[in-house]
Amino acid sequence: MSTSTAPSATLPDPPSGSALSRLAWNVRHHPKRELWFAWYVMLIFYNLYGVLFFVVTRVQPPPSPAWDTPTVVQWFGEHHLGLLAGFGVVFLISGMCGPMNALLAYSMRRMSVSRTFAYSYMIMYALSALPGMLVMAVAMTVAALRPDRDPELIQWLYDFAFLSFSGTMGVFLIGSLVWMVAILIDKNRVFPKWFGYLNLCNALTEVVVAPAWMFQRGAFAWNGAIAWWINVGVFVFYTGIFLTLLRRLIQREDFGTGPLPDMGGKDAAAQSDLVGAVR
Amino acid sequence: MTNLADSGHQLEERPTKFVPGQPDMWMFVLFESLLFTGYFSVYLISRTQNEQLYLQAQGDLDLRFGVFNTIALLLSSWAIARCVQSARAGAYRSALVNAYMTVSFGLVFLGSKITEWVMEIRMGNTFTSNEFFQHYYFLTSIHCIHLLIGFVVLGVVIYQLRSPARRSQELIETGATYWHTVDFLWVLIFALLYVVR
Repeated sequence: MSTSTAPSATLPDPPSGSALSRLAWNVRHHPKRELWFAWYVMLIFYNLYGVLFFVVTRVQPPPSPAWDTPTVVQWFGEHHLGLLAGFGVVFLISGMCGPMNALLAYSMRRMSVSRTFAYSYMIMYALSALPGMLVMAVAMTVAALRPDRDPELIQWLYDFAFLSFSGTMGVFLIGSLVWMVAILIDKNRVFPKWFGYLNLCNALTEVVVAPAWMFQRGAFAWNGAIAWWINVGVFVFYTGIFLTLLRRLIQREDFGTGPLPDMGGKDAAAQSDLVGAVR
Repeated sequence: MTNLADSGHQLEERPTKFVPGQPDMWMFVLFESLLFTGYFSVYLISRTQNEQLYLQAQGDLDLRFGVFNTIALLLSSWAIARCVQSARAGAYRSALVNAYMTVSFGLVFLGSKITEWVMEIRMGNTFTSNEFFQHYYFLTSIHCIHLLIGFVVLGVVIYQLRSPARRSQELIETGATYWHTVDFLWVLIFALLYVVR
């Protein structure tokens, strides 16, 4: 970013008419429209993700890894429609990861750190959709669409889906650490330092899921109190925090290269006027 | 541990500062405390469901290792507290010696922990042996990861102390806060795994 791209006096005044005319103005003229677009994509994605995984497909909270083959086959039969409808939408929305990852990388580009951080993060998170949802979605859809197959194969797909989803957190682990280091050494105050430390907490919970490969019962199984419930609690908290902080980042963004202004600052107040026009 | 009281002069300059180091690190202490409260709660609930098994398995732990490890980490915490005090007084050579002592006690803890793990594995007590040892290996391993990160943090503290051009008191105290957290978590783990029967 360079200071030459700063929103300037050439910007036409926002209309004071209807919400629709304000929205049209924002889409055409708002200097932060791409950033807000990416942020709203992220907000909608995480809400959809929750609804699809917890309500429609019912794969979360995960069913037991200790079930025998007939129980697993029966579970697929009972959830047939939900699995197909839910994962159908998951395939449709997977492209939303693009703008989301771009916004996260943008946050690192706005820092006073090397661009290597943003590039590393973006490459890693480009892969994250695979263990984060797509492998599971493919395995579950195959099992739901081929109920006539050997039940042992259905159980194999069941294990494959949940272990790939719960057990492969390496991408997220390293991604969180990259973000953490970038935040801690950044001098532009893009994020508070405590969020850097929260990234470390999140990274450590990604380690905790590894025992899910070994256990079918107890706290460390893929549906266990430690490997699932506590981890999901941390992840939901972490996601809520970074959505809020990214929103503040966009509000504070001055398109310069130095430290970001504070939320209550003069520059930020001018920016928030523009933000208000979006709504 | 670390002396919380700042000098009157410093308090005058920074009236809003009320914790040593970055306040952000104290948020980390809070997050980690909440997280480990979750892990400890799961352990204690599991324990009430199969108390006999836990008591029997705990009999295989050598309390002397637990006590030795606790003393090693408490000494390391004492050394890092002295490091902070020396740095505050401007005695950077003494601070550096104390930072190295902290690393040394941390390494003693690590060596002792690995020896204990090897002994338990030789006795046939592995991660998959029973529920108690699942929790034992999990809690001690996740703590050990914190310890390893602590060595990186101590590296930052030593880096700060080595050159007069750096010596950020805030970073030194932030590192000390992290190290105290490692110690604090171990004391709780020691109490739960070795002492509570």
